[in-house]
Amino acid sequence: MFKHLFKLIWNKKKQNFLLMTEMLVSFMVLFAVFTLMVYYYDNYKKPMGFKYQDVWVININNSYQTKNTDSLDLYYETLRKIIKSLPQVKDLSFVSGNVPFSNQINQGGLTFKGKHIDHLNNFTAEDSYKETMDLDVLEGRWYNKSDAVSKYKLVVIDADLKEATFGKEQAVGKLLGNDDDKKKMKVIGVIQTIKRNGDYVKAGPGLYFRADTGSFRWLSKILVKVSPGADAAFEGKLYKTMAGYMKNSNIEIEHLTNKLKDTNYFAVIPMIVLSIVSCFLIINVALGLFGVLWYNINKRKGEIGLRRAIGATGNSVSSQLVMESMILATLSLIIGSFFAIQFPLLNVFDLSAHIYIIGMLLSIIFVYLLVLVCSLYPGRQAAAIYPAVALHEE
Amino acid sequence: MLKNYFKIAIAVLRRRKFFTFISLFGISFTLTILMVLTAFIDKVIGDNYPDKKRDRLLYVNRIEQKGKDNMTSGTLSYYFLSHYTGMMKTPVKVAISSGFNGTNTYVNNKKIAVSYKYTNAEFWDVMDYDFTEGKPFNKQEVDNADHVAIISEDMKRQYFGDVGPVVGKYIEADNVNYRVLGVVKNVPVTSYMFFSDIYLPYTVSKADYKSKSYGGGYMGVLLAASKDDVPKMQAEYENLMKRVPVESKDYQHLYSHANSFFRSYVDTGNEASSGVFIVVTAISIFVFIFMLLPTLNLVNINITRIMERSSEIGVRKAFGASSKTLVYQFIVENLILTLLGGIIGTLLSVIALWAINNADLIANLQLSINFTVLFIALLACLIFGFLSGVYPAWRMSKLNVVTALKAQ
Repeated sequence: MFKHLFKLIWNKKKQNFLLMTEMLVSFMVLFAVFTLMVYYYDNYKKPMGFKYQDVWVININNSYQTKNTDSLDLYYETLRKIIKSLPQVKDLSFVSGNVPFSNQINQGGLTFKGKHIDHLNNFTAEDSYKETMDLDVLEGRWYNKSDAVSKYKLVVIDADLKEATFGKEQAVGKLLGNDDDKKKMKVIGVIQTIKRNGDYVKAGPGLYFRADTGSFRWLSKILVKVSPGADAAFEGKLYKTMAGYMKNSNIEIEHLTNKLKDTNYFAVIPMIVLSIVSCFLIINVALGLFGVLWYNINKRKGEIGLRRAIGATGNSVSSQLVMESMILATLSLIIGSFFAIQFPLLNVFDLSAHIYIIGMLLSIIFVYLLVLVCSLYPGRQAAAIYPAVALHEE
Repeated sequence: MLKNYFKIAIAVLRRRKFFTFISLFGISFTLTILMVLTAFIDKVIGDNYPDKKRDRLLYVNRIEQKGKDNMTSGTLSYYFLSHYTGMMKTPVKVAISSGFNGTNTYVNNKKIAVSYKYTNAEFWDVMDYDFTEGKPFNKQEVDNADHVAIISEDMKRQYFGDVGPVVGKYIEADNVNYRVLGVVKNVPVTSYMFFSDIYLPYTVSKADYKSKSYGGGYMGVLLAASKDDVPKMQAEYENLMKRVPVESKDYQHLYSHANSFFRSYVDTGNEASSGVFIVVTAISIFVFIFMLLPTLNLVNINITRIMERSSEIGVRKAFGASSKTLVYQFIVENLILTLLGGIIGTLLSVIALWAINNADLIANLQLSINFTVLFIALLACLIFGFLSGVYPAWRMSKLNVVTALKAQ
């Protein structure tokens, strides 16, 4: 049966070649779209890792500088007291510039047990960071005052980094660092990865360091947790208080809720544009396929009539036609999958393999469905051909 | 002759309405997408407000210093720009401005997010902002570090509401009161080198603009006396940069370029990778794949249609029409179909652009169909029609007369 179908396809290789190319290109487009969708969904279902509601970011440009560390600390500790004394402020933490949902990045690398980890985010935060952000501590603990004096340099890592370094094992108490480093860092806690790039984009692994004396020199942002009812009037007051104290700085207050919205917007808009465009492409292809198949069946009336005349049922005729197009689809999908499988093999875009595989499976199913739907109606039409009428035409 | 082809084409189109619909749908939709894309690119890169003298300008927006394992790259300091461009002879004027930064201001318990930008006085001579009222600040006011500001129309509406002239009034930003000197038309944020809500003299900047380090928050635009002086100006800047010493022992090389607008706009921030290359490749790949599918589809449909007309072709061949004539006829027919699709596509893109503008995806970015866009659409139409017509026409002309006539 299959041999016979292949023969039929081979006899019309020129036209079928074009149809196959069309299916192949549609598969590649679908593969790209589905992979992106799976990637977004994969990130979307992960927990956010902290509570961003009612957290404000204060950006300080051109902050107070002095060579004397003591007066630097005094200056910022006073600022902390001033902000904290405001009625609606619950907690605050000075942090490095790469706060969640900002474009600023501070990345490095790490080679741990022969495995290289790229795009490793380095964060610096204070003891109060946990309360301010309402962090989700998975293992061990966040920093506290007692960590100021310690034999080792301490570090808190996030779930992604733990997965990449220690895997399923416990991480707390173990040493972390480059293989050739003499002084390694000791892990004291693992926190849930904070989705710093918004709901849809991967955050990447992160290392959290404790702010120490002198860090104020470059900790350019403050995260402030406010009580739920804090409004613009209070924000204005906070702003005036800050600006009054830091006369030489430019100050900007942003809300993490709004920043998340902006970040998501930049992720979702390309997705929407891509979906609309590929939607129309697919409609286009579907119409084309339908038209061509329909026409082919009209042309093969004689052949079909003959088969019916010698006893083939309507179902077997229509299933033959559907099978023919399915074989065409299979052939182009095999070629398409060969190209698609290169993406996880060569690790082109730094996505995990399962995202590509799911994307590929989805697009294979979609192409099959598309071809099935497009050939079903022409197939049914063919089944309705009466042998007498068809043979009479010749 | 052409009139006959036209008549035949219309007759064929009306015969198989479903196929005609498929073809027109494919063509018009593809064109709509291409036109929206070109309108967007044309607006972002081609729109020369406020730098209207673009053919006389060169843009300096980055300095890179590179050592063995380390590199630093970013915008420049005010000192670096004013000091080194001051040594140059070809530029008539040099506009220096900072990138835009954000701050807040609070009016009537309402928060307004404000972008501010510091500029020198020459910035206003080099750029051609459209002033709806007032005038720019001059050198005197900059030197005195007067608290004066130029604001955008958006800012005026947000801060003052719908009122008459606001020149002379005070606007509070960053906890400082500035006297409004003028109001300019909005610049979309995609022109990141010129966008801002408030423009201030660089001398009122709270940051230390006298700092002698190379990196800072500023960008420069060099104005040549005429178009012909631009290459000379570019060469002069390149030569100058070769003589500038690196800032510290950690670095061995220093790069900074005075580029044309497009080149500086798509700069990647890294000497090793060319932004122009990346952007052009990305757009080409997108357009290629995007046009490939509808073209294949059209070829498929066209072949089917042609085979349907084999008897007509057989008759024409039997009466002595050459393959060339037939190919020519078919391509013309196909071009007519494509142009029809083009007209529908243009209408669709007008609607699409209207919808995009109304959705206000990017503030102040008003897309429109202009002649560039129309021309590109027309070109795309022709290429499209030609590509999808050639192969089927060739197949058709190869038909054997006898088989063609016998087919029916």
